[in-house]
Amino acid sequence: MVFDPATMLLFVRFLFAFTIGSHILLVSTSIALVFLISVADFLSIRGHDPAYEALARRLTKVLVISFGVGTASGIVMAVELVGLFPSFMTLVASTGAIVLFYAEISAFFLEVLALVLYVYYWNAFKGRYTHWMVSLFVVAGTLASAVFITMVNAWMNTPAGFDATTFINSGFKTISGVQPYAAFFTASTVNQVFHVVVTTLLAGTMVIGSYFAYWYVKSRDATERTICSKALKILGITAVIAIVLAGISGSEQMGNLLLHQPLKYAALEANIVNGTNLPDRFFGTIVNGSYVGGFSVPGSQALLAGFETGVSALPGLNQFPSSQWPPLFVTTTFDLMIAGGIVVGLFLLVYFVALLTKKRPYESRRLLYLWIPAAVLAMVVYQLGWATDEVGRQPWIVYNVMTVAQAANTSEALLVPGILIVAFYLIVIPTTFYFYARIFQGSKAKESAVT
Amino acid sequence: MNGIFEVNYAAFSVFAALLITEIMGAVVLLVTWPARSKVLDYAIPVWEVTGTFGAFWVVTGVFAYPALLVPVASIFAPLLVVFLLLWVARSSSIAFSEFITKKGWLDDAKLFRAYAVSTIVSGLVVLVLLSSLVGGQGVDLASGSFSIISWVTPGNVVFVIGTLALGVGLAPVFFDLASLRRLVLPMACAGVVLSVLSYWLMSPGLLTPSMAVPVFLTLLTGVLYLWPRTVRVVTNKAIFLVVLSVIIFSLQPLVYPKVIGQALEVDAVTTAGAMADAFVSITLVGGLLLALMLVLYVRIATRGPSGPDVS
Repeated sequence: MVFDPATMLLFVRFLFAFTIGSHILLVSTSIALVFLISVADFLSIRGHDPAYEALARRLTKVLVISFGVGTASGIVMAVELVGLFPSFMTLVASTGAIVLFYAEISAFFLEVLALVLYVYYWNAFKGRYTHWMVSLFVVAGTLASAVFITMVNAWMNTPAGFDATTFINSGFKTISGVQPYAAFFTASTVNQVFHVVVTTLLAGTMVIGSYFAYWYVKSRDATERTICSKALKILGITAVIAIVLAGISGSEQMGNLLLHQPLKYAALEANIVNGTNLPDRFFGTIVNGSYVGGFSVPGSQALLAGFETGVSALPGLNQFPSSQWPPLFVTTTFDLMIAGGIVVGLFLLVYFVALLTKKRPYESRRLLYLWIPAAVLAMVVYQLGWATDEVGRQPWIVYNVMTVAQAANTSEALLVPGILIVAFYLIVIPTTFYFYARIFQGSKAKESAVT
Repeated sequence: MNGIFEVNYAAFSVFAALLITEIMGAVVLLVTWPARSKVLDYAIPVWEVTGTFGAFWVVTGVFAYPALLVPVASIFAPLLVVFLLLWVARSSSIAFSEFITKKGWLDDAKLFRAYAVSTIVSGLVVLVLLSSLVGGQGVDLASGSFSIISWVTPGNVVFVIGTLALGVGLAPVFFDLASLRRLVLPMACAGVVLSVLSYWLMSPGLLTPSMAVPVFLTLLTGVLYLWPRTVRVVTNKAIFLVVLSVIIFSLQPLVYPKVIGQALEVDAVTTAGAMADAFVSITLVGGLLLALMLVLYVRIATRGPSGPDVS
């Protein structure tokens, strides 16, 4: 044996983190694309605007690529889950979590059939509004798929619908007391779904917007610039709304952690000792049981927690065995996520003010240049959010039930397929984004009527 | 009668019917490139639906047989990895090829051929997997492993050849390729004979009286194509897909009540209790939604112009 189980466990963790981190690049942009196409199509019909119509038609081609690659990537991930975490998937398959997967695949059917009708039979409908309504089914199917998959993650954070004690005591052999639908309504489901949906839309919107910002600046073609400005108008307003909702839902999410995942809460807030009037701490680290560096805002954590939940006694790491603590760098990823979110928020605030005071803020070169780093930051923040959520649950894969080490397959046989999968994503993700741009630009000559 | 098995097998039947028609199209793409428009008019909208039915079959399978998930995944891990890579290649190549404009050496023709090759080879992988689920050759349940060398038996080889012969024989029907109509009956007959022979070679017990249904329907499809009055009926893609799904569905004695060379009883590993009730309920709701969408799809698809007309 070349690699011991501990090394293979690290590889398994890395492999899945890498895979899902790559996959959500596709998912977030797909969701933003679907939304943008539907809105642009509606505006084109309502205002008889050929630029919006050109935007919707051209983006549907991009969406087909995104859907094709995203589906293939989703299948890779599903198989990977079974191969990397077999004990976890056995639990999933025997409890309500599989019902969520089943519901997700039903929503996926809605999405795919509506997408095929919308894209390939554009001219077969009797009325434009009827055709546009099919895009609403695509949006509904896409969102429902995302919601059901997020529900699986919520179930991992706050498991429900089976007798966990019997399951643990039997050495993961006996699954009893199964309530299949309980997985739909766990303690964290509503908060997590709300937060994930708006942040996914925000990240995708910013990334797609950065392409239009870049293309607006680069292109010398008036038609192209018109289309870009129309896209940026929709995306800018959407991003402003999404970031406000992301802030609200993020705050709600922390309140939910406080109530239902107190250890994760304590780790994120760097609460070494529990207490009542605790401060918010930023950009320090926990070293040998002490918080070092950074700065604090006295009493603010207690104030926010009291406002969110009415709870005044805040948990600390000292209340839990250190063997169950997550890696404490989550406090840093959490701080970076908040700081990055604030910077993106400030950019969007400037954009929003410009929107209110200027006629065409989406044509300001300075704002367009700024959009590109803001989009990169938004995606980094989004990824940091997921990293914080997942690492913050460690060592558990299903909170307080099964650890990642207990769930994982540490066979060396995973190495070669694992490396192939990494190579696949390293090739496919840049190729896909390259094709997005190439296909969008490739059909520009066809909208000569657009003004 | 195991309702959960029936639902899962029905999902498989539709997936297999869609995949087979895609493979037929892939063969036509490689053999007679001038006929590509007939194939692509069908394959381009449908490839996304095929993948979705595949995922549907897998998820219903995980739901239906939770205890089998880990053993099956570990036994067939090498085949699954190969299949995944081919599936990704297939999906990416057809998605890119739809809208690509020629740049350098890469153009739509090369990508369509890549799609055809990856679809055919992924179909072969599925045939290997299915034949080992039926006959059990190559599968070592004790060690949880699969050996392709042990899989190579007369029954399995004839099974693959027979299925390919059926595909080649029925492809001219599905795509209405009049120039290849002479192939239809000889290849369909050969395919039927070889398929029946392969089941007998795998295990004589697999041959039940109900096998007459798929044999009859397959030969009838071929005969009706040769009769001018019924050409329009059998070349209707919706009708053909329904008939093909029924043919595959009627082959269920191959995997029920026992599977993997009669070593595993399906009823014994099927989910039960509250989970079984949930399976039925969600299937009813999801099935209704799916049926409504399919009706709308068929209505629209048979009414107006198709193809990626979005430019």
